[in-house]
Amino acid sequence: MNWQWFHRLGSPRWFYEKTSRWSPWVGTLALMTIVIGVIWGLGFAPEDSKQGNSYRIIFIHVPAAFLALAGYYVMAIAGAVGLIWRMKLSFMVMKCAAPIGAVLTFISLVTGAVWGKPTWGTWWVWDARITSMLILFFLYLGVIALQGAYQSRDLSNKSSAILSLVGMINIPIIYKSVDWWFTLHQPATLKFTGPSSIDPSMAYPLLIMIFGFYCLYAWLLMKWTRLEILEQEQKTNWVKELLLTGGIKSSKS
Amino acid sequence: MSAVNTNLDQQSIEQTEISLMQGFWAVLKRDVVTAFRQRSDMINPVVFFLMVVTMMPLGISPEAKSLSFLAPGLLWVIALLATLLSLDSLFRSDYEDGSLEQVILSPQSLYFMVIAKVLSHWLTTGLPLTFVAPLLGVLLALPAEGYLPLLGSLLLGTVTLSLVGAIGAALTVSLRKGGLLLSLIIMPLYVPVLIFGASCVRMAVEGFAIGGPLAILGAFCAVAIVLAPLAIAGALRMSVEA
Amino acid sequence: MNPVRKQRLFLVFFIVIFSSIAILLITYALRENINLFYPPSKIVSGEAPIDRTIRAGGCVIAGTVERSTESLAMSFKITDGIADMTVNYTGILPNLFAEGEAVVVNGKIDNTGQFNATEVLAKHDENYLPPEVAEAMAQAGSELQHQETCQVL
Repeated sequence: MNWQWFHRLGSPRWFYEKTSRWSPWVGTLALMTIVIGVIWGLGFAPEDSKQGNSYRIIFIHVPAAFLALAGYYVMAIAGAVGLIWRMKLSFMVMKCAAPIGAVLTFISLVTGAVWGKPTWGTWWVWDARITSMLILFFLYLGVIALQGAYQSRDLSNKSSAILSLVGMINIPIIYKSVDWWFTLHQPATLKFTGPSSIDPSMAYPLLIMIFGFYCLYAWLLMKWTRLEILEQEQKTNWVKELLLTGGIKSSKS
Repeated sequence: MSAVNTNLDQQSIEQTEISLMQGFWAVLKRDVVTAFRQRSDMINPVVFFLMVVTMMPLGISPEAKSLSFLAPGLLWVIALLATLLSLDSLFRSDYEDGSLEQVILSPQSLYFMVIAKVLSHWLTTGLPLTFVAPLLGVLLALPAEGYLPLLGSLLLGTVTLSLVGAIGAALTVSLRKGGLLLSLIIMPLYVPVLIFGASCVRMAVEGFAIGGPLAILGAFCAVAIVLAPLAIAGALRMSVEA
Repeated sequence: MNPVRKQRLFLVFFIVIFSSIAILLITYALRENINLFYPPSKIVSGEAPIDRTIRAGGCVIAGTVERSTESLAMSFKITDGIADMTVNYTGILPNLFAEGEAVVVNGKIDNTGQFNATEVLAKHDENYLPPEVAEAMAQAGSELQHQETCQVL
């Protein structure tokens, strides 16, 4: 099998050059879909029959929660790739994915609380989904804290990769165990799994928002990884050349 | 200790005749003996357990009714914290005096050596905690039906706590101040054990069959026995190499 | 046998044994009623323990909600499509509680077979059923019928 493409992927320089072409497109796509989704969702989607307008927070809450979870897997898989193939780039991706994921988890928790107030009459319920999101947030914080603790970059990379892998095995276990025990849940997100449980007029803007958040995530991850590459590779020739030719300035604007 | 010379080739390993089991027992025995010689590491978690339990009636209410309602959860949470407290020293002295490196370099599979180390940690912290817990249950007015399930759930649960915690200990062993960070990264991973451990005791108190939660605790334990040593071994190799 | 291979063999045995223990225990635990959830049909048939905190769930039957005029006490009937049972509750109901909607109640059964709830939790989607209820209904093979109960009654 031809693994050349895979190894090429591991080169920070290749990634930097490719993404300087891709990232504007991904960024524009993210901006466009999110703007469309927000206008559609907030302005044109119908009110919910029971919850009125307060349900509209779904358009931020659900995409953020999706990405928070997916982001953890991105981080853990990047870490695993780094551990197995000793790829510098994937460690960089892992490092940048952690804070983005943590922020998304935080957003989904806060919007969930804001949603909970009108629906359940309380900001916080120890319900399965909320509790496991909170623990996901703690897992992210643990990985970030571990990354910052080491002097040596190599050690910090490998150890946070191991921790995020352990966390990845644990996420389903945590979710399942919390779910078994506190089955109070008002899972609006579950509207997806059942047929006809969410009206198409609400589902389309939601899907658009989710797609938009995926693009936003990809864009943020690219941008952060590019910065990380510049920082870690500042001693190499190609970065120096880039600096001299002003390539960075133009790619930043 | 079974510190086998490193530059032996395959053939002479056979000549030294230190089998996996012998290595396992050597590591286990050595760690348990060291723990008994340095009793503070063994006794401190138990004393901590006792002291925090004493704080509870003072902080909440000395009334037996409210205490007995809280007892299953409290005992489990405090036992968990006591385990966390003991984890930092799990690999530290071995790391500092270089014997950890010897274990890694020895021909015996690190996977089992790690299990021996964690087992000795459990024998010297988890097991004493488990046996002290019923006494503390009396202090917290735990109803009579709760004692055996408390013993059983802690017996199974503390093994898992030791195994999972050892991953954190291995990751942070090369850090000078690993203690707080260790608790931070490990505590979220303890959630499932806590849920089923405490609910096992609570269900017993309320008069339900506890086979379910005990079986799940056992399953966690079995999964941890298989997977945790892999992560611990990886983390130890990494910490020692650096 | 070569000691390295012996170790490897031992490792494989070890992993296989403990993985199968884990799987056995999980399958055993899944058969147990671990979150103490009982659908009305099981409560009516007497399978649920009396006077212990359990969880029940089902659809609130329309027209069965009775409120006391002096206090916050109230009662209503819930069904899983097979049997109904009466739930007594004193307190403030969640906003989304409504007739024909799914609820989960926590509480105890008394000697007369009535359920005294300490907590009532409502769902907000009429097409959504709590997983436990849905499961109970799927087992009873009357999911459709129940949905009709929930929507039509």
